[in-house]
Amino acid sequence: MKRIFQHPAEPTTGKKYWRSLGQRENSPEFRGWLEREFPQGAAEFEGGDVSRRNFLQLMGASMALAGLSFAGCRRPEKHLVPFTRAVEWSIPGKALFFATAYPTRKGALPLVVATHDGRPTKVEGNPSHPASQGASDLQTQASLLDLYDPDRSRFFLSKGAKSDAATFEKGLDELIAKAGDGAGLAFLLDDVSTPSRERLRGLIAKKFPKATWTIYEPLGGEKAGVFGPGIEAVPVFESADIILSLDHDFLGTDGDVATSRAFSSRRSVNKGPDSKMNRLYVVENRYTVTGGISDHRLRLPASQIGSFAAALAAELGAKDAALAAVAQAAKFPVAKINPDWVKYLAEDLVANKGKSLVLVGSRQPAAVQFLVAAINASLGNLGKTLVGRKSPAAPAQNLPQLAKQVSNNETRAIIIVSGNPVYNAPADLEWAKLQASVETVIRVATYEDETSVGATWHAPLAHYLESWGDARATDGSYVSVQPMILPLYGAWSENDVLAKFAGLPKPAGPELVQDTFKSIVKPADFIVAWAKFLHDGFMEASAALPTALPFNAGAAGQFFGQPAPGAIGENIFEVVFVADTKVDDGRFNNNGWLQEVPDPITKLTWDNAALISPSSARQLGVRAFGIRASADEGIREPRADGEVDMIEVKVGGVTLELPVIVAPGHADHSITIALGYGRTVIGRVGVGTGFDAYKLRTTAAPYIATGASIRLTGKSYPLGITQEHGVLEGRGADLTRQATLGEYKDNRDNTEYFKKMGMDAHIPKNVSLYTNPPLNQPDSIDPHAWGMTVDLNICTGCSACMVACQAENNIPIVGKRQVIGGREMHWIRTDRYFASEGDKDFDEPELVSQPMMCQHCENAPCETVCPVNATVHSEDGLNVMAYNRCIGTRYCANNCPFKVRRFNFFDYNQRKLTELRKWNLISEKGTEDSLKLSKNPNVTVRMRGVMEKCTFCVQRIQEAKIATKVAVRDSGKVRIPTDAFTTACAQVCSAGAITFGDINNPESTVSKIRASERGYRLLEYLDIKPRVTYLARIRNPNMKMPGAEKIGAAMKSKHGHGQKHEAAAAHDGGHA
Amino acid sequence: MSEAVVSLDTPKELERVPLVTNDRKLSWITESVSDIVESKTPLWWWLGFLITVPIALFGLICIGYQISNGVGVWGENHPNGWAWDITNFVFWIGIGHAGTLISAILFLTRQKWRTSINRASEAMTLFAVICAGIFPGIHVGRVWMAWFLAPVPNANGIWPNFRSPLLWDVFAVSTYFTVSVLFWYVGLVPDLATLRDRAKSRVARYIYGLFALGWRGGNRQWRHYEMAYLILAGLSTPLVLSVHSVVSFDFATSIVPGWHTTIFPPYFVAGAIFGGFAMVLTILIPARLCYPKLDDMFTRQHVDKMTKIILLTGSIVGYAYLMELFIAWYGANQYERAAFWNRAFGWYGWAYFCMMFCNVVSPQIFWSKKMRSNYIVVFIVCQFVNAGMWFERFVIIVTSLAQDFLPSSWGHYSPSWVEIWTFIGTFGIFLSLFLLFMRFLPMIAMSEIKIVTPEADPHHPMHRKEHPATATEGAH
Repeated sequence: MKRIFQHPAEPTTGKKYWRSLGQRENSPEFRGWLEREFPQGAAEFEGGDVSRRNFLQLMGASMALAGLSFAGCRRPEKHLVPFTRAVEWSIPGKALFFATAYPTRKGALPLVVATHDGRPTKVEGNPSHPASQGASDLQTQASLLDLYDPDRSRFFLSKGAKSDAATFEKGLDELIAKAGDGAGLAFLLDDVSTPSRERLRGLIAKKFPKATWTIYEPLGGEKAGVFGPGIEAVPVFESADIILSLDHDFLGTDGDVATSRAFSSRRSVNKGPDSKMNRLYVVENRYTVTGGISDHRLRLPASQIGSFAAALAAELGAKDAALAAVAQAAKFPVAKINPDWVKYLAEDLVANKGKSLVLVGSRQPAAVQFLVAAINASLGNLGKTLVGRKSPAAPAQNLPQLAKQVSNNETRAIIIVSGNPVYNAPADLEWAKLQASVETVIRVATYEDETSVGATWHAPLAHYLESWGDARATDGSYVSVQPMILPLYGAWSENDVLAKFAGLPKPAGPELVQDTFKSIVKPADFIVAWAKFLHDGFMEASAALPTALPFNAGAAGQFFGQPAPGAIGENIFEVVFVADTKVDDGRFNNNGWLQEVPDPITKLTWDNAALISPSSARQLGVRAFGIRASADEGIREPRADGEVDMIEVKVGGVTLELPVIVAPGHADHSITIALGYGRTVIGRVGVGTGFDAYKLRTTAAPYIATGASIRLTGKSYPLGITQEHGVLEGRGADLTRQATLGEYKDNRDNTEYFKKMGMDAHIPKNVSLYTNPPLNQPDSIDPHAWGMTVDLNICTGCSACMVACQAENNIPIVGKRQVIGGREMHWIRTDRYFASEGDKDFDEPELVSQPMMCQHCENAPCETVCPVNATVHSEDGLNVMAYNRCIGTRYCANNCPFKVRRFNFFDYNQRKLTELRKWNLISEKGTEDSLKLSKNPNVTVRMRGVMEKCTFCVQRIQEAKIATKVAVRDSGKVRIPTDAFTTACAQVCSAGAITFGDINNPESTVSKIRASERGYRLLEYLDIKPRVTYLARIRNPNMKMPGAEKIGAAMKSKHGHGQKHEAAAAHDGGHA
Repeated sequence: MSEAVVSLDTPKELERVPLVTNDRKLSWITESVSDIVESKTPLWWWLGFLITVPIALFGLICIGYQISNGVGVWGENHPNGWAWDITNFVFWIGIGHAGTLISAILFLTRQKWRTSINRASEAMTLFAVICAGIFPGIHVGRVWMAWFLAPVPNANGIWPNFRSPLLWDVFAVSTYFTVSVLFWYVGLVPDLATLRDRAKSRVARYIYGLFALGWRGGNRQWRHYEMAYLILAGLSTPLVLSVHSVVSFDFATSIVPGWHTTIFPPYFVAGAIFGGFAMVLTILIPARLCYPKLDDMFTRQHVDKMTKIILLTGSIVGYAYLMELFIAWYGANQYERAAFWNRAFGWYGWAYFCMMFCNVVSPQIFWSKKMRSNYIVVFIVCQFVNAGMWFERFVIIVTSLAQDFLPSSWGHYSPSWVEIWTFIGTFGIFLSLFLLFMRFLPMIAMSEIKIVTPEADPHHPMHRKEHPATATEGAH
């Protein structure tokens, strides 16, 4: 079937625009594409399993090719008006999905982006790509907001004055003309490996052989090169039974979606007590999400990780002479470490040779990395649980080398694309001064930031959702980056800039990337291959193949030459600089979603702080947050207005004053400070947030600085912490149930084991006087019943679900002041508890995270109390909110036992956060235009005075229902196909901890998981019948380890105030 | 104190303290009560009014500010969805109980001492209910949609949720207010006629005449009037008990530990009477100071009786507090136990002990007759009770919400200046209205008090020596 598209007539005068290169050439192939209703790529999916989503993706990709969508290429601006005639495929209110990828320093994350009427509204992982499988992470979810950030760089600036793209281009031409052989020309880029960049770099190197190429990532880690240059070790979590992580937060800031997925695949006990569950040991200085999920955790200052590795190597070396030799050569000071910990850990590792995995954080010095490599080699893990991968990027020089060239006046022009060295270069380089001494500084960045100040040229950098590109995913596979929208502010992409220097014209469309594609893939049929590449978002079977990991124990001397880290002790602290879990190295500082999502561990928003251990806090006498404290403990209670004490940290003569948080589980004599705050040139969101720890960083000690001193300054500072109270108060057995793998196995026949913990062990059976008619005949009106499961065993608490929900459901941010007031709006939150026996030990507590969203109680207490019927139950079992009907009595929120209902105390969507308290009549109303574009059109933007809460993504449910009804016509089989869609939180979760679906459908994943014996519902005694089932956490301790017998003790029942009661309940046989 | 003339030849009977002392004649009563309204406005009144009105106005400005910007200008948050708003609502509603109790229940039980205080306390009830009514109205997020609470048919066919205690509140409070206004107004009619007849200016005569509804004081009118009054008293009596019971359902029917308590209805009613009487004394003791003439009508025995009621109801409230604690322990539910433990020793423990001292300990002083008759002591204790009853509501509402089921969502609450001034503003409204009432309406029910004077009682010993009295009274 061939139907001719009716395209708008080409303008006869004025500039002519091509929709693509194909059109320019007006080739027959192109005309074929244009006119066929079903482009060629469609054929590949015929007869296959074409889901609705696939279909839309396919159509989206086809349109991109046909030059019909915004994504296709540069549409003439005159066409950006409301459609007078419907664009084929585009149905208002229906999303079109396009594949793309988000390039980061850890590798690109393949994505599928939902667009509505040409504006991207939601980012999801690419379900067909193995590295994502539909999942994504916190920053990726929030990257959408960056696109629409009204504070983004909008203008070309020439020495700070407004200019335009043409003048900028002219400026570049002049520079290039004068450049000669490139001597004095320096490129400074961030560490994103993209094939197009590599190709352009090659072209530039040919044209300007003397130009230098520098890569700088403030948090790139110590590139130790233990296995030789260009070879990195990649852990294979799927094959590891025993994992030891030394200061490596692989589930958090040091990891990615794929790591987390791989780890949880072996952490999960979905197959019951006989699941092959891994065991995780973590040694770290502060609680991370990785430490939180571990079975055994040792808190140790980061500067003593080497000492720990040496002790472990010595222990293992008893049976391995080669390792013993390496251990001998390593000169780490002896640290106070429980010898039993090392002994039984070593025993466990040896017992699992080839199936164990020892990981070390990239912030650790090369010596430690080498030592760990030796341990892995000794354990036979190389090639099994740890494989090699060749880095595709050619080597580049580092920032100190460039700094030296600049200070030697060898550099005349420097081109800085993204990054922000003025802000984040090591303080001893004094980069700001160096940069000022360079004749020409060309800066291309998404924000006018610290580095842009004083630059000769500043050009806006296109967001990845605005530009054509390509990248390598975390697994090395070749992925495509295609634009969803024209650059909002005429920004240039990195490729545009580099192409200019490579002597190519500034690409108007995908040509440049297509050329790269041609050179890499060498396709037989370019059009088909390219179409598939764009449609799939990646090249099949292009993942990097594992290479050998050559470990050379003989190189020990080369690595052990560095001086050992300085000692710490009484009043001598180490300072550990870490990536912020939200704003990373500071690049996301102006992103409100990320600023407001609480840190998974500290629950801090809008700031960073110095984390110190309770013991250190006791010595200083500071105010505590998040833990119960009393005067006699020497830690003062926090004030209700969020004011906490400030300390002054002094490292090598440089001081930084910042607020302090008492962090349970933190190592003594150690201070952790997240980087990325205290920006000086930043947009309205990031201004005034946190404190700049880069000031304390030097080239010599970029991650761990020793010899620091601290003192209380007597000042205080307000911190917005979303969880005031972090102790379970003896309610662990009710709220966060858990057992050890051994207990799970022992009770394998007792299906009630997890269901009868805590109060549920002896509360009489609930008898309800009120029979709920819709619940008693579930099939009468609607065949579906929506339910959710949350597996506490694999949930790390990373909080990606919070931002995914925020993006999907148009949830506003409220600002720091409102967070302090307790008014954050997140529909799903991650509760984090520190637990120890008797809630006493905050030095070494256990940690448990629990995502908490509306439980959609079948017998919902919120519904009975609403006087105006604004919150009611739907036939498919949702607790729904009618915003139009809500008058805002807040009674429902009061009566919600989970406190998940969120009230719009102010008009957060309509008012500037700084003007919330201004009289309505005189303050300006409305939001920035660009932010309006980011909204999901299928979700109401709520006004002030109404209550809101998790809806189980009702808009997705309705969309699926409508699609099903349309598909089945009159047959009446309106049941949505099994697992056809899911909620935003479940979709984003890389661990797969959240599952959503139809519990009436026995085939659905959620029904099967819900039936697990680990399943329990919260506060069963209230007879509220939640639709969310939590799955108890299972821990897999090595019973020989010190403290193993205590694991989980804190979570066990402690209700009431007497042991006797406890004993009686235990006697009933229901207790953990 | 009293020197009633008792003849020696009557059988020995217990001396009854007369309700109106000093053998005041009926005309004296009319004169002295009407004089308050008719004489020149005293300076202290102006001073008082000039203080209360700006306070009231500032309170209204605060309300305007809050409605204009949103509930966010208050200190409420998640989890404390209610705080001072509902505390103040329940506080004022509680105060509104004494008036109708005095006028209705004491009327039905033939407690004649009520006559000298019922008018003022009924007025106080109305003003308190007006103040109370402000809070549920303005505390909602979208005030302009508050009419959704009314069961009016609308285009969407949506009715209010009849399962919600908040809706019952709307019905209970509005019914209570309506009946109280009627009761008060019906009681006023004969006195308005008196004022009309005495009025010297045409305007006053016209206005009083308008509201006196053509009262002439004829026998038929009295017969109908008294029946109407009796019926209204009968209607009001259950309302006294029901309103605060219904208000307590807001909490009792919820599932929040610390709210979900079956003891709430009787305990709230007792508390309301307790607080209401304290407020009556708070108002009347200074009023009596300003009008020394009232001494003979508002006597020490009134104060004595009211303090005894305060002692009784205060002890009931104290019992309820202890019983709550006992049941929380006895119930062995960890959430209930924690709620009450936190109430006493948690973040707001200071408020709990304030409440305990003010409501349970301080009224115990009234076991002593000497203390009961000392106006200064009585006044001070009444202030304790007023504060204590406010704290009671604060403790119930805020401590329960601040620390409930999930420790993760525990959160502190502290009021903002807007909320504090809104509350102070309601005192301004309350006192301004009361000052206006004192100025323009007879503070003491002349017609009713005359009935309880010896002069009106044909069997009173005082008539035996003198002429048979012609004293059935009417409008003078």
